[in-house]
Amino acid sequence: MLKYVLKRVLIFIPTLFAVSLVTFIIGAYAPGDPVANLLSSNNGGQGQAASRAAGEKDYIELRRELGLDLPLFYFTISNSTVSDTLYKISRKNHREALERLSFEYGIWDNVAKYYEVTKKFETELYNIKKTKKNAKSLREAKSAVYTLLETYDEQKIKTLYSNLQFLFDKTPSLSEVESYLNASFNAFHHVIDNKNTFGRYVPKINWYGAHNQYHNWIFGDVPWFGEKEPGVYYRSEGFLRGDFGQSYQDRRPVGSVIWDAIWWTFMFSLISIFITYLLAIPIGVRAAVKKGSRGERITSTILFMLYSTPTFWVGTMLIVFLCNPDYLNWFPSSVSMMRTPEDAPFFQRFIDTAYHSILPLFCWTYGSLAYISRQMRGGMLSVLGQDYIRTAYAKGLEPKKVIWKHAFRNSLLPVITLFASVFPLAISGSIVIEVIFTIPGMGKVIIDALHANNYPVIYTVVMFAAVLTLVGSLVADILYAVVDPRISYSKK
Amino acid sequence: MLRKLVNKILGRKPKEQNDESFWAKGMQQFRKNKLAVWSLRFVKFLIAIALLADFLANEKPIVAKYQGETYFPIFKSYAVDLGLSKWPEELKNAVWQDLEYDWVVRTPVPYSPSNMDQNNDQYASPFDDQNVSSGYWRHWLGTDALGRDVLAGLIHGSRVALMVGIIAMFIATLIGLLLGSLAGYFGDEKMKISRIRLFLNLLFLFLGLFYAFGVRGYALTDSFDSKESSFLWEFLISLIILVGMVIFANLLARPLKAIPFLRKKVRIPIDIIIMRFIDVMLSIPTLLLILAIIAITGPSITVVMVIIGLTRWPAIARLMRGELLRIRSLEYIEAAHALGFSEFRTIMRHAIPNAMGPVMIAIAFGIAAAILIEAFLSFIGAGVPPDQVTWGSQLAEARSNASAWWLAIFPGLMIFFTVTVYNLIGEGLTDAFDPKLRK
Repeated sequence: MLKYVLKRVLIFIPTLFAVSLVTFIIGAYAPGDPVANLLSSNNGGQGQAASRAAGEKDYIELRRELGLDLPLFYFTISNSTVSDTLYKISRKNHREALERLSFEYGIWDNVAKYYEVTKKFETELYNIKKTKKNAKSLREAKSAVYTLLETYDEQKIKTLYSNLQFLFDKTPSLSEVESYLNASFNAFHHVIDNKNTFGRYVPKINWYGAHNQYHNWIFGDVPWFGEKEPGVYYRSEGFLRGDFGQSYQDRRPVGSVIWDAIWWTFMFSLISIFITYLLAIPIGVRAAVKKGSRGERITSTILFMLYSTPTFWVGTMLIVFLCNPDYLNWFPSSVSMMRTPEDAPFFQRFIDTAYHSILPLFCWTYGSLAYISRQMRGGMLSVLGQDYIRTAYAKGLEPKKVIWKHAFRNSLLPVITLFASVFPLAISGSIVIEVIFTIPGMGKVIIDALHANNYPVIYTVVMFAAVLTLVGSLVADILYAVVDPRISYSKK
Repeated sequence: MLRKLVNKILGRKPKEQNDESFWAKGMQQFRKNKLAVWSLRFVKFLIAIALLADFLANEKPIVAKYQGETYFPIFKSYAVDLGLSKWPEELKNAVWQDLEYDWVVRTPVPYSPSNMDQNNDQYASPFDDQNVSSGYWRHWLGTDALGRDVLAGLIHGSRVALMVGIIAMFIATLIGLLLGSLAGYFGDEKMKISRIRLFLNLLFLFLGLFYAFGVRGYALTDSFDSKESSFLWEFLISLIILVGMVIFANLLARPLKAIPFLRKKVRIPIDIIIMRFIDVMLSIPTLLLILAIIAITGPSITVVMVIIGLTRWPAIARLMRGELLRIRSLEYIEAAHALGFSEFRTIMRHAIPNAMGPVMIAIAFGIAAAILIEAFLSFIGAGVPPDQVTWGSQLAEARSNASAWWLAIFPGLMIFFTVTVYNLIGEGLTDAFDPKLRK
């Protein structure tokens, strides 16, 4: 048995590795630039001329803090036009434009030169003193260069250059940096004139070593054994040591974001599991024992209908008909709207929370209630047909004793194992209920994180869900062996 | 009915009633289950509605005479979509409902799902007075905030629901059958291929992925942003490149097998590989995965279908594997071997058809689940683009205005019935085909 468990736990490692890779790849391709988003939410948009240098510095610093300045993975497989130093370019939109340019025209060195010259041109443009006369043109020129740096389409770039030329012709005070504009323009033409697309058909593998984003996320860069070296900048302890990184939304540690939310979800889940098993077992047993009677058929039909009724429909119907002044205004429609002060007496807060939780709890429970009752009924039915049950009846035992002592214990198998699948559901299974009733739990955290491309949170949630799934199925298998002595994992 | 007719025309004899084959027995059992049979009828009815949606609810008339010319506007719009025809100038931006026709045959519901009736916007109730000229123009099931007809939305929503359910499960079934039968039929011992073939297959799989999806990455993403149909086209090209390269690898391996060193066989533990793969798939929280991918690609029905298909195959693969493990040691497979049939033929013609029963159960439940996932995604606004109407998105509107009960009840009922019906079919199939219940 122990050997079996150990073997299973060993298999966890490659499985979790695969899951982490899948989520990591999805995160890597997510649109949006978390650094830019965080900065703009902090100081309201792009910095102006004076603060531009500072803004650039902030960007680089924040990128480093979030660990986004490292290569993505241990290695990359790409076509050979992609430079292995591309990750060093700080702005994400620039990086994407440059990668595309070098793919289209084939020669990275030219593209790098073009980028360098154009960056230089931008810097010089920001150094020009703003006067009343040139303010408008200067602003337009800056925005044109800004667009230029994130554009890869040849036609669009050419239009931008001609716009810039037009601005420069119109505004004499800009002429001091015209040489930079020309340099950038020539560099771009150098890129497109030396087009060579052969490179894109040649695969290339770059090796980056352990200093990368994925390694940082999982293992961290703080040494596992031994002291931290002074003067070295450490980013994270890594997922395995409980450091889940920072939320991109508010830079709180992901661990604390999840901890705050999971309390709600776990409370609802636990109560719902309790109610479910409390009701489902007697219902299921009764339905099996009284099979064929009218009452049983009605119960079974209702259970089946409940089982296939979507939660979000039930939730919506409850809100429309029970939380609405037009019909019945019996319940509040939202849990987060709870207005009881924090210092109210415990009892009052308890009553209020319970009152707000009735409808969500109902939604949480009815589906699994129906499901588990049906499973219980099925398990019980198959046991009741066995010979030993007939024998028990034949030797004159009371029906009650036969049912509960002989049949019930043997029919528990499918129901107990379902218990194990409850835990992963606690993390993600409640999204829709939490959205409908605005409960500040895990489901809401997940949806918010997805809307904001807040990948550290998503990574963590997915990994936890995967771990719980794996542990759940292991527990289920062990329970099988414990409940049913016929099943053994040791001899094989 | 139809089958009898076809048989008569072709001069075929109708199948004997006491057919002892696995399929005939199962179907006989299935037909005894009244509820399941009725469910199957409901599904057929729903499919008919989905196929005829354009002729049931449409702003365009079926036939109309307009300014002396007879039009079949719905058929014509198909032709226009295919690029075969063009609208005349005066009809290009026509408001079809308001045109003055000489005579006209309209669809039963004279609204398209995206039509905004400005006279009846802001939630017109089915029971209240509506601002319409006659009973024919009434919105029988009410309207939503923008004045879109709920009934028209329900009719066209059935298309999305069924399409998602069927296409997603089609993808899942293909993958599940392939991997499941490989794992079950060959197990860990029986799959042996020559060294050179293994090497070339791996090499060309890598190169194929590189050329099909790496080099063409920009072509794919560009087409995805521009138009969904052109994306499917580009994707098909990529797929052809990939498959072509793998076929090429196998052709190349043939002559090279002449060298004894390269000809040596390697055993591939295909069962373990595929089962581990299934473990990984099952431990990924599917819903989160779908939500995360949609956060990248943006709401799109195609994406939803493909991801559901790509994540739901493990159940089918497992069933298939289990059945084939049982079947492969039966006499008739041995007989097929003894007759010298190829492995491919033995699997395709003899093993898989007899293992399909349990798979059908999984497919029926899977369709129900896929429809439910799509409705859920549309409900939280992640499934379809906002201008497209589906049952889930209609239901979601009930949340923004709780007094609009008709937006909560009707789409919800449609989802409920469709899901229930597929579950009932699944139950019926379970009774008919489940190996555990087989006596």
